[in-house]
Amino acid sequence: MSKAKAPVRKDERKSSSCGCEEPLRALGPEELAAVRELAEIATEFDLAELSVDPCGGIRIVRRQAGGGVGTAATPAASPLPPPAPGPAVEKAEKPVESGVLLTSPFVGTFYRAPAPEAPPFVEAGQTVRKGQVMCIVEAMKLMNEIESEFDGKILEILVKNAEHVEYGQSLFRIEKA
Amino acid sequence: MFKKVLIANRGEIALRVIRACRDMGIRSVAVHSTADADALHVRFADEKVCIGPPPARQSYNNVPALISAAEVTGADAIHPGYGFLAENAEFAEVVQKCGFHWIGPQPELMRLMGDKVSARKAMEAAGVPVVPGTSIIETDRQAEEAVERIGLPVIIKATGGGGGRGMKIVEDKSRLFTQLASARAEAQAGFNNPAVYLERYIGRPRHIEVQVLGDGSTAIAMGERECSIQRRHQKLIEEAPSVAIDDARRVELLRTARKATAAIGYRTVGTLEFLLDEERHFYFIEMNTRIQVEHTVTEAVFGVDLVREQMRLAAGDPLRLHPDMRPRGHAIEVRINAEDPVNFAPSPGLITALNLPGGPGVRVDTHIYAHYRVPPYYDSLLAKLIVHGENRHVALARLRRALGEVVVEGIKTNVELHKRVIDHPDFIAGHFDTHFLERL
Repeated sequence: MSKAKAPVRKDERKSSSCGCEEPLRALGPEELAAVRELAEIATEFDLAELSVDPCGGIRIVRRQAGGGVGTAATPAASPLPPPAPGPAVEKAEKPVESGVLLTSPFVGTFYRAPAPEAPPFVEAGQTVRKGQVMCIVEAMKLMNEIESEFDGKILEILVKNAEHVEYGQSLFRIEKA
Repeated sequence: MFKKVLIANRGEIALRVIRACRDMGIRSVAVHSTADADALHVRFADEKVCIGPPPARQSYNNVPALISAAEVTGADAIHPGYGFLAENAEFAEVVQKCGFHWIGPQPELMRLMGDKVSARKAMEAAGVPVVPGTSIIETDRQAEEAVERIGLPVIIKATGGGGGRGMKIVEDKSRLFTQLASARAEAQAGFNNPAVYLERYIGRPRHIEVQVLGDGSTAIAMGERECSIQRRHQKLIEEAPSVAIDDARRVELLRTARKATAAIGYRTVGTLEFLLDEERHFYFIEMNTRIQVEHTVTEAVFGVDLVREQMRLAAGDPLRLHPDMRPRGHAIEVRINAEDPVNFAPSPGLITALNLPGGPGVRVDTHIYAHYRVPPYYDSLLAKLIVHGENRHVALARLRRALGEVVVEGIKTNVELHKRVIDHPDFIAGHFDTHFLERL
């Protein structure tokens, strides 16, 4: 194990984007309130990490919702394990997405239609009923129809046709009726 | 050679296979359960696929998910590691039927060796000594005759048995019939099958095993390993070579193992396990048709990458190692487990601080890191610490030094138990058998 990793990321953060080297001091009531508000935001949007630099940088780390297949892209030489899961999003002001996620129940290949020339089972914007077939996930040459678990409206289709999906990967974002 | 290998396993052995792949220029695919999303094997593989929720049945033992993961990633071979599906002949067959290479022996040999009775028969036929015993005992007369032939003490075992139930040690002939009756009753109650058989009871055996490699026609025996320090059949400390056998006995043991491996036409790597009795006779007990946890001590003394050889042999390459290779020095492996050193209760949780040893003659195979959370769903092995020296004395000194450098905070480990064992005069003198830990 390399030495570089044991000391935690506090030091990194101090010297990160702003380079302020103010000594540590107690927080005033206003700052405390601001921290409390940030903590609430972090909870509300299920963030793994949220740091606001007084010199202007905002950094959030979202909790991982399941990545894509075959994209670990780890540099072979990287000696350090991941400090936290999920991608870091610099200065992200992305609005938090509404709706609930329909996830893949197993590893396989995602198909939007029952056959290559057939129309897709569903389109974004369409309303669906509980039990309606949404897509196919092919695993071991078996075409498994994936049904909606509730009535609602499809906000977004998160996977492209014929892409590989893994267990737990989000397929559809649906607004529950 | 394979282009891309999917590793159907987790933990240190998944990492071990990924390392061999990287050394060989083969791409690797890690699979993982949702509990292992932050695991090191996932991080260090070229590709990764989440195959299911935490329970092994739904992830690492989930055959359709594993095959599907191999299909979507375009892997051409599957390495099973050890445990999980590594000795499951049906899985090996499915892998091959789906068009992937199986990095292991032929499924029919896995099946042959997976059954105790057929394995014993096959080994006897290949000239390997087995523990003297009987087939199913029907009558008291048969039992009496068997005892006269085998000699006391004998052990009564249930054919359907396991876990010690239905087993009786007979030391005194006058108690043979009553013990036979109670063993049958226990077997009936426990396994719904009253059939029992007799075997010579080896009171203080040592567990000695032989690493074998085969290419389907020829085979070699790459030395022995001493694995007598175990608790409830779980090995804790392994070493190579064994101090319990002299050169003449070693030559005989290795020749026997090599001939048997060649006789069954075995391909890839495997291990023949033997019991050594107090008169230094060895008896075959079982064959493990996979890479083993303790393969590292053999690697240390022979200077060979066994996982690389395993993959070469699985790809159909011929054996390339010299049959008369000699070990160099002495190697010892200790298994560092996440468990209470006193009551052996598992101890999963967050590792808050970690230091692993290093320096001359020290190797650590592990998947843990500082701030890693040991999940409660899988086995408790955290790390394998392997030391090598020019002789056992040097290896032991290095092991003592290396164990002193191990720091694992946040969870309990068995490091203190290892320290007690290796400082025990009997261990240092090499005087121990499989019951050593019970007496400690």
